[in-house]
Amino acid sequence: MANRKTLTYIVNAKWVSNLSFIRRFSSSLQPPELPPFDYQPVPYKGPSAHQVFEKRKKFLGPSLFHYYQKPLNIVEGKMQYLFDEDGRRYLDAFAGIVTVSCGHCHPEILRAIEEQNKLLQHATTIYLHHAIADFAEGLAEKMPGNLKVVYFVNSGTEANELAMLMARLYSGNLGMIALRNAYHGGSAGTIGLTALKTWKYPIPQGEIHHVVNPNPYRGVFGSDASLYAQDVQDHIDHGTSGRVAGFISETIQGVGGAVELAPGYLKMVYEMVRKAGGVCIADEVQTGFGRTGSHYWGFQTQDVIPDIVTMAKGIGNGLPLGAVVTTPEIAQVMSQKIQFNTFGGNPVCSAGGLAVLKVLDKENRQKHCADVGSHLITRLKNLQQKYDIIGDVRGRGLMVGIELVTDRKDKTPAKAETAVLFEKLRELGVLVGKGGLHGNVFRIKPPMCFNKDDADFLVDALDYSMSKL
Amino acid sequence: MQRLVTSTSLLRSAKDQFSRLRARGRWFSSMPEHAATGSKNEEPVLPRFEYSPPRYMGPTAEEIVRKRKEFLSPSMFYLYKKPLNIVHGKMQYLFDENGRRYLDGFGGIATVSCGHGHPDVVQAIVNQTNNIQHSTILYLNHAIADFAEALASKMPGDLKVVFFTNSGTEANELAMMIARLYTGCQDVISLRNAYHGNAAGTMGATAMCNWKFNVVQSGVHHTQNPDPYRGAFGSDGEKYAKDVEDLIRFGTSGHVAGFIFEAIQGVGGIVELAPNYLTSVYSTIKKAGGLVIADEVQCGVARTGSNFWGFQNHGIVPDIVTMAKGIGNGIPLGAVVTTPEIATVLTRRNYFNTFGGNPVSTAAGHAVLKVIEKEKLQENAHVVGSYLKERLCSLKDKHEIIGDVRGRGLLLGVELVTDRKSKTPASAEVLEVMDNMKDLGVLIGKGGFYGNVFRVTPPLCFNKQDADFLVDVMDYSMSKL
Repeated sequence: MANRKTLTYIVNAKWVSNLSFIRRFSSSLQPPELPPFDYQPVPYKGPSAHQVFEKRKKFLGPSLFHYYQKPLNIVEGKMQYLFDEDGRRYLDAFAGIVTVSCGHCHPEILRAIEEQNKLLQHATTIYLHHAIADFAEGLAEKMPGNLKVVYFVNSGTEANELAMLMARLYSGNLGMIALRNAYHGGSAGTIGLTALKTWKYPIPQGEIHHVVNPNPYRGVFGSDASLYAQDVQDHIDHGTSGRVAGFISETIQGVGGAVELAPGYLKMVYEMVRKAGGVCIADEVQTGFGRTGSHYWGFQTQDVIPDIVTMAKGIGNGLPLGAVVTTPEIAQVMSQKIQFNTFGGNPVCSAGGLAVLKVLDKENRQKHCADVGSHLITRLKNLQQKYDIIGDVRGRGLMVGIELVTDRKDKTPAKAETAVLFEKLRELGVLVGKGGLHGNVFRIKPPMCFNKDDADFLVDALDYSMSKL
Repeated sequence: MQRLVTSTSLLRSAKDQFSRLRARGRWFSSMPEHAATGSKNEEPVLPRFEYSPPRYMGPTAEEIVRKRKEFLSPSMFYLYKKPLNIVHGKMQYLFDENGRRYLDGFGGIATVSCGHGHPDVVQAIVNQTNNIQHSTILYLNHAIADFAEALASKMPGDLKVVFFTNSGTEANELAMMIARLYTGCQDVISLRNAYHGNAAGTMGATAMCNWKFNVVQSGVHHTQNPDPYRGAFGSDGEKYAKDVEDLIRFGTSGHVAGFIFEAIQGVGGIVELAPNYLTSVYSTIKKAGGLVIADEVQCGVARTGSNFWGFQNHGIVPDIVTMAKGIGNGIPLGAVVTTPEIATVLTRRNYFNTFGGNPVSTAAGHAVLKVIEKEKLQENAHVVGSYLKERLCSLKDKHEIIGDVRGRGLLLGVELVTDRKSKTPASAEVLEVMDNMKDLGVLIGKGGFYGNVFRVTPPLCFNKQDADFLVDVMDYSMSKL
């Protein structure tokens, strides 16, 4: 039973005035309910989950993995919700891996795509078309410094491949530096930059070195950026000719488990790399477009201006689209030879991308991410007080990670428990993502239209599930 | 509207007529039924097309060029002296900002297979986009499974496991990685004059210096190109195949990861590999433990007409097939198809592609396969393509500048040379003819190492009237040189 002090605290706490207080207080007793949503999905008449799963096994290869023991057949989406074949609604807290930025089937994005599809879907950039030019201009406007030359590609992997090529050509050097625990792509070249063994096939990945990850939670130096940065200098001094091609990093590592780089790290490293003749590449595939709340681009949270920025995922709300933005000086080296991408910058993806930029601005999504994100993180930190299994709550805006450990001191990854909770959350109607080398981090990166009620529901569901462990 | 051909115009000199045409700013779309005659003095007429494009209200060509210069890559090029602002497409026609209609003889680089804005494909895209556009393959969705099944049914042998990517480059990168993992060897062999992509691995396989940046591209060897027109051994496929044997014996450990080829080289200038080449090379590669990868990005998906896939024209069954471009009628989509046995190598680690296999792209791809079957586009490519090639060959008899006419189905090339014996590339003339053809309403592409080959790769709904118009315009333009 709560004593007087606790009751006073509860009464005075900010969240009392909220109607859902009652629900939250009793969250550990009953399963929470999805926030209401005024929308009926279309009755699904297609193949069942079982039929689809059988076909996948037969035609899509044994390496294709999926979430959940009983795989989920997602047939429709609307804003921050998804629907399965039975018409059941789920809160999408993962956004197709941080990809659906505006919301599933956002009406304005749909309109832009449909209209362009009816006019001209593809002709390539050997002819002019206004969509690619307008979109490039729109993107350049969002960039600081002299970052204003845009290359369009079809994925994050292609973008990072191109960035690596630019770095090597511009600097005239070969060696690339990336962070341990990074993910930058799945092609042979970007597999070299990626630094998580589960994603690295045993193929030659020459001239790429991985430095100590400035991971505040698991890193040996805690949050002391200067000590981590020293490892970069050490590597340049002892592991290279003294000259490098470039440095690439995510500001909040995605696949690696929503790990935010120790504050001040990039500023120091960028200086070291530039002194050694290298260029600095910011991989904004997951952190871009206002998702971090405090800034439009992840790199801005570290107060730096990179030489090359790569992006994908959220840029098109799901359209296969990626981009590389750089300075005119660096772009110049690319004009030595022909660099062409057949699908890159096609009218439909460009129109969709431009619509995404407009929607995110019009609906003030960056501020929204900041507000909802801080509410979410606050609630999660409270939850952390309640359950020992929550080792760390981190991130910013709507790019949040929850790391589960069986022992807070040793930080032993709670792999099994994560898997169980993952399934439980699905049963309650919440779809989250998983990450980290040990698969013990929940990744909460929903469509940016995710609101406070959704956040409350998610935390309540987590609370309820953990109480049942 | 005025009749195109009057007795007066027949008497005018060809040059006058040409400049008058330009000054008037013709609108071919509303021309009457006048059939193309192929005569030197009469300008050919675009075939009729009952369709009016919507009025264009967007930025002009000048504004776009200015923005491109400022915000887009400096290496981005465009065709024609006065770049064309293409704002709308319908089946095999394109429209510019003034509503002028052009015959699209290039298909967005062999990409638009069913036709611009084909109603069935657009419908599939719109329906799926309104339903769910993206969710990743971490969850199930029937679109990817149905499309994979349909694609597998088009494949011979045991080729039935599909990996979806977003481009030809991604597909070839994955294919090369699979071959290296499967064999445990690193050496890949590709043909000189090949184009396979522009990422780290595929740039190595690509073999034309203007597409290769000065970066490390290890593990790839380039063998002599079995080019019937320019190659040292003419059409003797087996002689070229010997070079592959030599290369393996002396340039590798004796074991290789694989061999990658295009059955008809696209960027390289529509070069069809000499007959009997692939069957010889196939056994050589197999002896060296390697995998054979068929790059069907341009020659696949019904384009060669005689078969669905380019490699089928050479009587072999590869171990891995890659595709992109035409498979989605323009939507960013690529795929790698291989056997279940080879596919298991990727289970050693995680391979994932966020956008690959998304519901919209796969729904579009599936619609494309259905349209090709329903509208018998492969047969059309064969019939119209053969007819077109025949007419182009007759044109070759007429104009000395045409050194070679080659290709299959609707993947055709016309190589221009200033001297038929020494085969000196007529690169400057190609540009001039291309520009003239554009002014007359025909858009084609160019390629080849010297940029002297016309690439004719239209949407597969191209018909005989279109073929006649294209040849007549080419004839007319060449006569003006």
